Amino acid sequence: MRPLDPRLLRRARAARTYVVLTAVLGAAAAGLVVVQAFAIAHALGPVVTAASAGRTPALGPVWRWVAVLALVMALRAGVAWAQERFAQRAAPRVVGELREQVVAHAVALGPRAAGTGDPAAVATLATRGLDDLEPYLVRYLPQLLLTALVTPTLVLVVLGLDWVSALVLAATIPLVPFFMWLVGVMTAGTSERRLRAIERLGAQVLDLLAGLPTLRAFGREVGPGARVRALGEASRRAAMGTLRVAFLSGMVLELLTTLSVAIVAVGVGLRLVHGGMELVPAIAVLVLAPEVYLPLRRVGAEFHASTDGIAAAERAFAVLETPLPRSGRGAAPALDAGTLVLDRVTVRAGERGVEAPSDLSARIPLGSGRPGGGRVVALRGPSGAGKSTTALVLLGLLRPDDGRVLLEPADGTPLDLADVDPASWWVRVTWVPQRPSLPPGTLRDVVADGHAVPDDALAAAARTTGLDAVVGALPDGWDTRVGLGGVGLSVGQRQRVALTAALLAGDRPLVVLDEPTAHLDARGEQVVLDTVRAWRDAGRTVVVIAHRASLLSLADQVVDVVAREVAGAPA
Amino acid sequence: MLPHDPLRRVLPLLEVHRGRVVRAVALGALALGSSVALAAVSAWLIARASQMPPVLQLSVAVVSVRAFGIGRGVLRYLERLASHDVALRGMAALRANLYDALARGPVTGVVALRRGELLARVGADVDAVGDVVVRALVPAGVAAVVGLGSVALVGAFLPDAGLALLGCLVLAGLLAPWLAARSAAAVERRGADARAEVTARALELLEDGQQLRVAGRLGGRLEELRAADARLAAATDDGARSGALAAAVGAGAQLLSVVCSLVLGIPATVTGTLAPVELAVVVLTPLAAFEATQALPAAAVQLRRSREAARRLVELLPDTPAEPSPGQDPRPAGHAPDRSPGSAVLLRLDDVAAGWDGTTAVAGVGLDLRPGSVVALAGPSGVGKTTLLLTAARLLPALAGTVTGRDALFVAEDGHLFGTTVLENLRVARADVTPDEAREALAAVGLDGWLAALPGGLDTVLGTGAGDVSGGERRRLLVARALLAPARVLLVDEPAEHLDAATADALVRTLADHARRTGRAVVVASHRLAALDVADEVVLLGRRDDAEHDAGHDAGHGGAAATVVARGRHADLLRAEPAYAWAAAQESRRPDAVHA
Repeated sequence: MRPLDPRLLRRARAARTYVVLTAVLGAAAAGLVVVQAFAIAHALGPVVTAASAGRTPALGPVWRWVAVLALVMALRAGVAWAQERFAQRAAPRVVGELREQVVAHAVALGPRAAGTGDPAAVATLATRGLDDLEPYLVRYLPQLLLTALVTPTLVLVVLGLDWVSALVLAATIPLVPFFMWLVGVMTAGTSERRLRAIERLGAQVLDLLAGLPTLRAFGREVGPGARVRALGEASRRAAMGTLRVAFLSGMVLELLTTLSVAIVAVGVGLRLVHGGMELVPAIAVLVLAPEVYLPLRRVGAEFHASTDGIAAAERAFAVLETPLPRSGRGAAPALDAGTLVLDRVTVRAGERGVEAPSDLSARIPLGSGRPGGGRVVALRGPSGAGKSTTALVLLGLLRPDDGRVLLEPADGTPLDLADVDPASWWVRVTWVPQRPSLPPGTLRDVVADGHAVPDDALAAAARTTGLDAVVGALPDGWDTRVGLGGVGLSVGQRQRVALTAALLAGDRPLVVLDEPTAHLDARGEQVVLDTVRAWRDAGRTVVVIAHRASLLSLADQVVDVVAREVAGAPA
Repeated sequence: MLPHDPLRRVLPLLEVHRGRVVRAVALGALALGSSVALAAVSAWLIARASQMPPVLQLSVAVVSVRAFGIGRGVLRYLERLASHDVALRGMAALRANLYDALARGPVTGVVALRRGELLARVGADVDAVGDVVVRALVPAGVAAVVGLGSVALVGAFLPDAGLALLGCLVLAGLLAPWLAARSAAAVERRGADARAEVTARALELLEDGQQLRVAGRLGGRLEELRAADARLAAATDDGARSGALAAAVGAGAQLLSVVCSLVLGIPATVTGTLAPVELAVVVLTPLAAFEATQALPAAAVQLRRSREAARRLVELLPDTPAEPSPGQDPRPAGHAPDRSPGSAVLLRLDDVAAGWDGTTAVAGVGLDLRPGSVVALAGPSGVGKTTLLLTAARLLPALAGTVTGRDALFVAEDGHLFGTTVLENLRVARADVTPDEAREALAAVGLDGWLAALPGGLDTVLGTGAGDVSGGERRRLLVARALLAPARVLLVDEPAEHLDAATADALVRTLADHARRTGRAVVVASHRLAALDVADEVVLLGRRDDAEHDAGHDAGHGGAAATVVARGRHADLLRAEPAYAWAAAQESRRPDAVHA
């Protein structure tokens, strides 16, 4: 875990500009702090010296230094403004850039993205998780850069003024991270153990809260109240135990920094008494000493922002660095009257110790593309047998763990689907899943999907799929905006939209349909049957995951999909 | 805080001990005060030293500078412990009080919980409200004490400089935090729509990404996500303007006070009203005093955030905590209901209408449940079966008609499994469930094999949220728990969900057997019809105009309330109701049912 991961700069363009700007502003801040110290010293020192000696000081240069200080004030305010402004501007852009990359990569990894953990974790990362980077970028990173720039600069300036003070500062600065590291290492084990205990206690309370409806249903809600209190008290004790240790590093930081400022002040004072030093540099050193430690202390204070932000970035990189499956380069052949061959296709289902499908072989002759020459192929099997997985394999979205899928053109050599450029395969395929997504736009645009469709063809297709009833109920008919930001449609209605769009996309010879299992009535079933028939009549090939006998009876070919438990694997 | 501030309503629930807060503020003020005193004494020390007095005259200053140097770190450590202790006590008390309020308040509030995601946020919200102590109240108190102390110190030497310092502290301690809080609010408000859009688009891409790839729409959709993110960044950028201003004010105020001290102090020293050593103190003390105000912008933002969290928690709280809701009485300890319509009837629904928020979902339902009765509620999803069961269990007030009889247990489809042992989960039904009874109940729902495979048997701890329990096992555990409950009437919602056909039907039969053997009554709501031949009566819910309607619509969206469209034995309905017969036929013809 590094405080500034170079991968962040590599992946997010906005982060690069931001870091450069922050560094420039940090350098400006360092310069201003030095000028400020000298201005205060030169404005204050001569007056004190002269008045102590009973003389009237020469006020001309003094007022000039006061004016310089006023200018520094304006400039420091300006630098602070610019830093905050750039930070607030850059942070959402960096988050946005990473978000797009994470989403795009996660999608490109396919339906069973290996190595990214569970999909919910990626979704959380892409929505809320990456927001943890904002405090890191806005608050932690600038202080980190300031520590790198301001602290050494100021030590050098102090060296020019009073080498003894510079020595004190230079000696204590490395002690700060060293002691913090030491405290951290010594307490890490206990803290983590205790934190886990606290999390467990907290989870138990939330568990009871979440179970309250159930407890009330059983009339057992009153008893656990005392338990919530007891858990809260136990959790507090455990947390305080952790904090007593965790805050030690903070104390070391405060103690070292304040104490060394005190040592510098006393040392300077004693040298002044003995005439070893002038008042003006003494004041400058006194003003500079706390500023040397300030960025370091702020870095310590923003420790949480840093760990959370770095953790979020690490999670994003974990997704981004998962290698993409190799995709083929060949162009998909024409499918008309060809054959789709499943050759001993096996997909292992996660850690369940199940192969679904297992060793599936089938030759699926495809439709001719001419009216009347279509085919309906049903995938049949109990739930969990791997029917949907087989569909994903056919679509080229999932690589089988064993076996292969071959595309055999009517007159030509078979081509492994793995060697085919997916984009060239997908332009020949329409996929109607159980829960079709709805692109935003008017219903007409969505259904036509870029095709020029005459109104009567649209109406005929809608009659077949039952979409006409849906359109009739919508406020603006075909011109109603649907999808994100538009009218919400139920899953059943979306299925009809997708069926209609698939009906009109005649240039895609293969249709893969996951039959809707939502509680269909007689009419709903008829719609699906009519649509499948219409596809076949148009000469297309329909591969359908069939749940109903009526669809199976319509099929020209039935492929049985079976799963197998792998011997020896945990069930 | 405004009179209607939700924090005001929630803070008493933290049971904050005033003395502990005062202790934390005092320790914090001493810690920060050490820092200011260190600056002031160092300034005095250096100025006095430059006059070359005998070294002994400086010894008190030398010792106190070192003491302040050490004191700051130690006192700050003690303050952090004290303030976190207050916060943690507050969070624990808040959780407990929240639990009590929800447990004792009207039951409808608790039932409403299951409908929202409110619960998911409770943990984070409690923490956010607790944070108000550590991050807002204590820093504000410390800043006030130390700020005024510094003003008094500087003012003692030169009153005008004291006033100038006060003015600058107000700039940094009130104006800057106000600007920062405003900025945070603006960012949130302006960004809300863009943020929601970004979230929706990101989730859509992750969920439907594979479809979009096949359809060739992925590139366009990623482009739109990028545009939405750009809008979010622009909105944030707009809102953050005053945040940058806050940073500038905070940075400028410190030097402004030094400039003021110089402008006021130098003439005073020249005219002799201010000693030269005092001038050094007046000029250099403000440099340290502004550390007090540095934490305040973040404190103001935290206050706002805590207030939002408190608002959400207040929504969870019942309006008037102690008052029982209509229809909700203290649960009778197992004795017969007082207004029972006849000792034989355990529960009677008389022309009952049920629904949420005054909108009727189901109306005109009548039902008599006697010992041994087994009734099935059938009908499409969304027709209002669950709502009707909740009303029968008196967890929802009936919108019309009467529910007579008590002691009915609603067994929710999404009932909670606690992160404790299997046995303790079953003991939620009844505290004195013996291990043998538990095993018997688990065997009755077909979980004996599952139990045997568990490493610790009945003492195996289920993962929180019961992560290591499959959907089907979970359903059966919930039914097993219901079988152990003393309630005379079980209202079971969708016991067959997530189960394969054979197991689902067996579970319904188990419930029926249980009712007949123990003289209880069972109502099973199910959209699966195959096993309903065990029921004495099947009540088919639906809308009269359903035939005209299209099944693709979600049934819940229809205008008219559902009602009983047919009732009778399963066999009779198969004969008399074509839609019922069609639906039942579909189940038996499903290919997966054949294979399973």
